[in-house]
Amino acid sequence: MRAMVKDGIGIFSPQGFLDGNNGNFFLSIEDIEATIKLKVDMILVSLKKVVFFNRNGLDAFVKMLLKVRAANHATVGFCDFDHKKFEAISRFYENDLNFSLFKTQEIASLFASSFKNQSKNVLIYSEDKSQRAAMAIELHDNGHNPIVAQSEAEYHQKSKAENTYDVIIDNTYLGVMGQKVATRVTGNAIIYTVSSFLDAEIGNTFNIAYHNNSLNVGFRLFIFDAYKVVSMNVHALNFFSKLASSGAEYNAAICFVGLTFEKTPIAFKETLEDAGMLFFDHMDDILQNKELLHELGASSAATVKNKRAINKAIVTELPNFIDATVATIEMMTNATANKETAKVCTIEVADKENKIASSIGFYGDIDGMVVLVFPLAIAKKACALLIGEDTDDKEQVLDTLAELVNIVGGKIKTLLADEKISVNITLPRTYTDVDGLLEVIHDKKGVQLDLKFDDDKFLFFLTR
Amino acid sequence: MITAEKLNSYITKIPPAPQALRDTLHLLNLGDLTKAAKVANEDLALSSYLKNLMRKPIYGFKNDVSDISQIFGILGVAGSQQAVYNYMISLLSPSKWVLFKLNATAFHNLQAELSVNWKKILTHLAIYDKDIQSAITLLPASFIIAEALFSEKIEDVKLLRSVSAIDLNTILKRLCGMDLFDICEKISQKWEMQESIAKIVQAASGVKPQEDNNINTLGKWMHLLLFYTLSKSSYIEAGLNDFIDFQVEYVMDIYDDFSSVIEVS
Repeated sequence: MRAMVKDGIGIFSPQGFLDGNNGNFFLSIEDIEATIKLKVDMILVSLKKVVFFNRNGLDAFVKMLLKVRAANHATVGFCDFDHKKFEAISRFYENDLNFSLFKTQEIASLFASSFKNQSKNVLIYSEDKSQRAAMAIELHDNGHNPIVAQSEAEYHQKSKAENTYDVIIDNTYLGVMGQKVATRVTGNAIIYTVSSFLDAEIGNTFNIAYHNNSLNVGFRLFIFDAYKVVSMNVHALNFFSKLASSGAEYNAAICFVGLTFEKTPIAFKETLEDAGMLFFDHMDDILQNKELLHELGASSAATVKNKRAINKAIVTELPNFIDATVATIEMMTNATANKETAKVCTIEVADKENKIASSIGFYGDIDGMVVLVFPLAIAKKACALLIGEDTDDKEQVLDTLAELVNIVGGKIKTLLADEKISVNITLPRTYTDVDGLLEVIHDKKGVQLDLKFDDDKFLFFLTR
Repeated sequence: MITAEKLNSYITKIPPAPQALRDTLHLLNLGDLTKAAKVANEDLALSSYLKNLMRKPIYGFKNDVSDISQIFGILGVAGSQQAVYNYMISLLSPSKWVLFKLNATAFHNLQAELSVNWKKILTHLAIYDKDIQSAITLLPASFIIAEALFSEKIEDVKLLRSVSAIDLNTILKRLCGMDLFDICEKISQKWEMQESIAKIVQAASGVKPQEDNNINTLGKWMHLLLFYTLSKSSYIEAGLNDFIDFQVEYVMDIYDDFSSVIEVS
């Protein structure tokens, strides 16, 4: 069984009965290894579809969760349960409850670094006073407005108030929370979460290859969520200075949010500002300021000195890239693809109206990026299998398109692995219009292929 | 991935029930166990299936029972009809399983486990209708259909399921407008099974309530029995546990009764 990853949270969903006889069979060694490698900041086991469990059944998952946490510092635990199940788990692990319990996935997402929406009004209740405080602190750090009910009576009274709270938290327990450089995407900004003491270790925990490829794919705004940072030393200072300088090559903006200088020398701030780093007190100062967000994150043509040209290594693998794309779209639409023209050029989009685009980068033995430009109607058609219905919600289509491009990326990875070429893929980036895409790649040469599915055309572009 | 044409071609290729089986079922319907055993004995594959069935530990016989009339005598009319239907369904199973890690023995064990526990449930519900007892036999056809349709697309299914919590039944429904249980129904029609059998199995999908409340109740029990069985380690390893979505809320009101009937520890 593999975890399904959404918004930075990996979820396992076992079904049916979970006991000592079968618990270990849900997870193979490969599953555990794959989970450790996931770039997520939370790994949860959903009990939504488990009708019966006992301690032995849960133990197999607990062992896996603790292994994952030890390896990559993710927050781990269980979610999606009712009061009876919450009581049962709390009883089973009375003295060694060192993982978290979230009543629902929605509640878990409030505590994850990858939360999408901030400023939720959250009512909290737990019998345990220290738990109430811990939840309130975490939620506050994550940009929400926690309201703590101090007693059960107060909780019942407050929870009856309609439209007052976005989320009501009970039957939830915070175990050891994760501390990793988590990554999430908000709009087209990539947000890294850093915490505690920043020292030389940041060079190991920060995924520089991922960052560089995100730059290459077209992400221009990088925010370090540093609310939980206590202090920074000179090694970390050097690391961030270099990061800022390398980002400047792409016109990228790198910001620190919430960093205090009580225990970090103020001179560090000046050094980082000199390197081009920006500082903000609150995340909302950027995310809620559409104008600033646009200015900082706008796709801009990179003035890279060493322009990376498409090379033989990539062109040799072109059939794999095309096959992965064609097979994915065929799978999603049940239509047959015809390849029309292929040429080496800078991207040429004939009619920009009503088109959306998405790109995904790959890096490793070879590197580059695949760009797909769809008419909105085909994108909707291609996403129908995942969404399950027709939708006119462009944001939903873009989100689903990102998942589709993720599948393409996954397929590319598999096809290349068959040829002993090892690559990783970045997060997909989506563009609401073609102009945004062109700003990033207008001067990049690559291989352009026009594809036709039934009567619908779309464009495939492979570049570096 | 899977087109409506491919699905229709699969349905068209389902063979009609062999004459010997139809005769056996006809005689069982008339309650003539002796004649039915005689006809069944002539079909070597069926008689071998029945003899092996009796050797399954879940039936708990200490001595080898190898005479078909004796087997039919032990099983009774309803049990014999159920066994013959199980055999018919097993005829559809592939010689080599790819999507699910099963083989002929494991599949027969699965059929036997479902049948024995379904009988316990019907005894608890005081239902002695032989067609309802046979309804469980159609359920494993859904695995065979999923295997046939998705075995060549394992990698696609894995990729799709890595980005979306989507089960095989839903994928098929969204792609072709027909799901695994609709195809089970087609099989039952082709094999002239009682209409109620297909209806119970449709209700057992957990997502298609039927008009008749009694059928829905049976569907709930069958849905829970299916997931109880698919939660066994061997079927989890076989990859059967998540082939369709378990509808926990659908079965919550019968869970306590179920756990006492099946003796869930």
